[in-house]
Amino acid sequence: MAAALTVESLSKRFRVQRDRPRTLRESVIRLLTGRLEADRFVWALREVTFTVEQGQALGIIGHNGAGKSTLLRLLCGVGRPTSGRIVPVGPVSGLLELGGGFHLDLTGRDNILTAGLLNGLTEREVRAREAEIIAFAELEEFIDQAMRTYSSGMYLRLAFAVAISFDPATLVVYEVLAVGDARFQSKCFDRIRALRSAGKTLVITSHIPEQIRALCDEVLVLEEGRLVTRAGPVEALACYDELMRERTERRARLVGGSAAPLATGEGARHGTQEATVQAVRLAGGDGAPAETVRAGGDLAIELDYRLARPLPDLALSLGIYSDAHVKCFEVLLYSVSAAFGELAGRGTIRCVVPALPLLPGRYFVNVGLYPPDCDYMYDYHWDMYAFSVVGEPSEQGEVTGVVSLRPEWSVVARS
Amino acid sequence: MRTWSASQARSQRATRAHGLRQRLDLVRHLVRRDFRLRYHDSTLGMAWSMLLPLAQLGILVFVFQHVVPLGIEGYPAFVFTALLPWAWFSTCLADAGPLFVGNRDLLCRPAFEPKTLVVVNVLSHFLTFLVSLPILLLVLTLYHRPLTAALIAFPLVVLVQGALALGLGLMVATLNVFYRDVQHIVGVLLALLFYLTPVFYRSEEALERFALVFALNPLTALVESYRAIFFYGTFPAGGPLLFAAAVSVILCILGFRVQARWQHEMVDVI
Repeated sequence: MAAALTVESLSKRFRVQRDRPRTLRESVIRLLTGRLEADRFVWALREVTFTVEQGQALGIIGHNGAGKSTLLRLLCGVGRPTSGRIVPVGPVSGLLELGGGFHLDLTGRDNILTAGLLNGLTEREVRAREAEIIAFAELEEFIDQAMRTYSSGMYLRLAFAVAISFDPATLVVYEVLAVGDARFQSKCFDRIRALRSAGKTLVITSHIPEQIRALCDEVLVLEEGRLVTRAGPVEALACYDELMRERTERRARLVGGSAAPLATGEGARHGTQEATVQAVRLAGGDGAPAETVRAGGDLAIELDYRLARPLPDLALSLGIYSDAHVKCFEVLLYSVSAAFGELAGRGTIRCVVPALPLLPGRYFVNVGLYPPDCDYMYDYHWDMYAFSVVGEPSEQGEVTGVVSLRPEWSVVARS
Repeated sequence: MRTWSASQARSQRATRAHGLRQRLDLVRHLVRRDFRLRYHDSTLGMAWSMLLPLAQLGILVFVFQHVVPLGIEGYPAFVFTALLPWAWFSTCLADAGPLFVGNRDLLCRPAFEPKTLVVVNVLSHFLTFLVSLPILLLVLTLYHRPLTAALIAFPLVVLVQGALALGLGLMVATLNVFYRDVQHIVGVLLALLFYLTPVFYRSEEALERFALVFALNPLTALVESYRAIFFYGTFPAGGPLLFAAAVSVILCILGFRVQARWQHEMVDVI
C-alpha cells in the first residue's frame, strides 16, 4: 500500500515560558544588562518517525504533555518542525479545535459558511452541503439564530457536523469524539467509522481506550515526545498502562514514598502514596458490612482517603470487575473537589449502587486516586475488595455473563 | 521523465482556478463578517462609520475656522476630502496590532494564511470609506466643488494607499505577536502622524524647514492627491504620487516578507 503521510525524524521544541507575553522593555533590559543567557527549550517531540498507509486508521496515545497535540498540529501544517519533515500525499484536514473561527454574534448558517471556507471549500460548495450539515447537527429550528443563544451542546454539535462534512484524503481527529450527549457521540463515532470504511486515512487521538480499540488498526504510543512503540491497539494500550506504572514509580521515588507495589492480601496496590485509600468497606442494602450481596440488592461502597500533603484536587476512579477481570462498570471523577467540595486531610466518600444488576458470581471493587490530569497514580487498589453476588438459580435455562437482564419469554406463534 | 497529458494540464488548471475562487470567497466572506460585526448591536449601526469622521470634521472646522482661522476657502470640504482617507488609513493600522494575537483560533486552523486577516482588515475599512463617499459628495456640492474628469485617478490613489496600509499592517500585526508594545506604539505614532500630514492645513503653509518631513511622508502625497481630485478638480501631481507609490510597493513587499519570515514562529507564541 502507498503511504499517505510520511513523518521523518520529526522534532519540535518550544521556548520555556512561551506563554509569558514578552515586551519590548524586557528585551531591551536583557540586551543592556548583557543577560543574554541562552533560552531554555523544551522538546515536545524528538525524532519521531512513522508512516501512515493510505486507508489506515492510526491512533496516537500518550499522557498529557507527551506530544500528541504538537504532533497533530504539525501534521495539519500548523507551525513548523524544528527539524525533520512531514510529507503528506494529499490534503490533510484536521478536527483540531472544534468551533475554531465561529463567531457567537453570527447565526449558525453564517458560521457554517465561515468554517467551510476555512476548510478550503468555495462558497457554492459550502451552500451545497449546508442542508446536510444542519441535518446532522439537528439544528434545523435554530440555524438562523445567533450562536450566542445556543447551548454548549448545540454549539459542539454544529462544530462537529461542520468539521466532519468536508472530505480530505487524510483526516486528523484530535480528542473530539466526546461531544454532546451519548446519542450524538455514537452518531459521530459512526461517521468516523464510515469515513474509515470509505478508505480515508485517519489519524486519531483519544483518551478513551474503547474508542482507540474500536477505530484504530495500529497505535503509536508517545512518551515525553518520543515514539515508544507502534503496535496493535491491544498491545499499545497495555504499553500505555505500563508507562503509567513506570511514571508512578518514578514519581514515588521523587516524593520519597514507597516505589514498589505493595502486595496485600489477595490483590495489589500501586501508587506514589501522596494520597492514599485507607480502607474500602462494602455493605449490603441494610448497611451491615457484607461480602455477599443479593442479586438486585443495593451495594454501598465506602472509601476512606488520606492526603499525605495538602492537595487542591484529585481524580477518583471506582470500578467493578468480574472474577475474570472483565470491566463491568467504571466511573472516573476528574475532580473530587468539584463533586464533593474542598478536600480535607482525611475523609470518607460513600457510593451506593442501587439494585445491582449483576449475575451471581465473584466481583472486585477497584478504586484509585490520581492527580487531576491522571498522569500517574496516587494510589490504585485492584483485586483487593471482593464481594459475591448470590441469587436464585434461574428457572429457565442456564444464564452466563455479568449483567442480569431478567429476560421474559413467551410464545408468540405456534403452527 | 514526466509527460503531461492535456487532461492533466486541464485538471491542474481547474485546481488552481478552484483555489483562487476559494480564496476570493473566503476574503469576501470575512470582509462582510468584519464589517457587519463592527457595528453589531449598536442602534445606529453603520451610521457610526460616518458619524465619527463627521464629529472630527465638526471639531476641526470649529477650531480652524473660528478659533484660529486658517482662512481656507470652503474649509469643511477642504478638510473632509483628506479626513476620510486619513480615517481609512489610521483605523486600518490601529486595528492591525491585535489581528494575529486576537485570532488565535483562525491562525491555528490548518491551511489558513494569516496574511488573509490583514487583507480583510484593509478591505473592510475601505468599505467604510466607500460608504462615506456619498457624504463627501454632498459636502462638496454644498461648497460648489464640481466633479471633474480627474476622478479617473481616484482608483489609482486608492490602490497606492491600499498597498501602503497592507504593508504596514502586515508588519504591525506580525511584530505585535512578539512584542505587545507595538500596538500601543502605533497608537502614539498615528496621533503624531495626524499632525504631520496636511489633513487640516495646506502643506504649502507649513514651514519651509519641515519640507523634508512632508516630502518623505507618503501620506502627504496621498492626501493631497485626494484633495486635488475632489476639492480642486485637478489631476494629482505625478512626482509625489509616484514617490508614494514606490514607497508603498516597497513597504508592501517588505510587509509580506516579514510576515512570511515569522509565520511559523508566530503559531508557537500565540
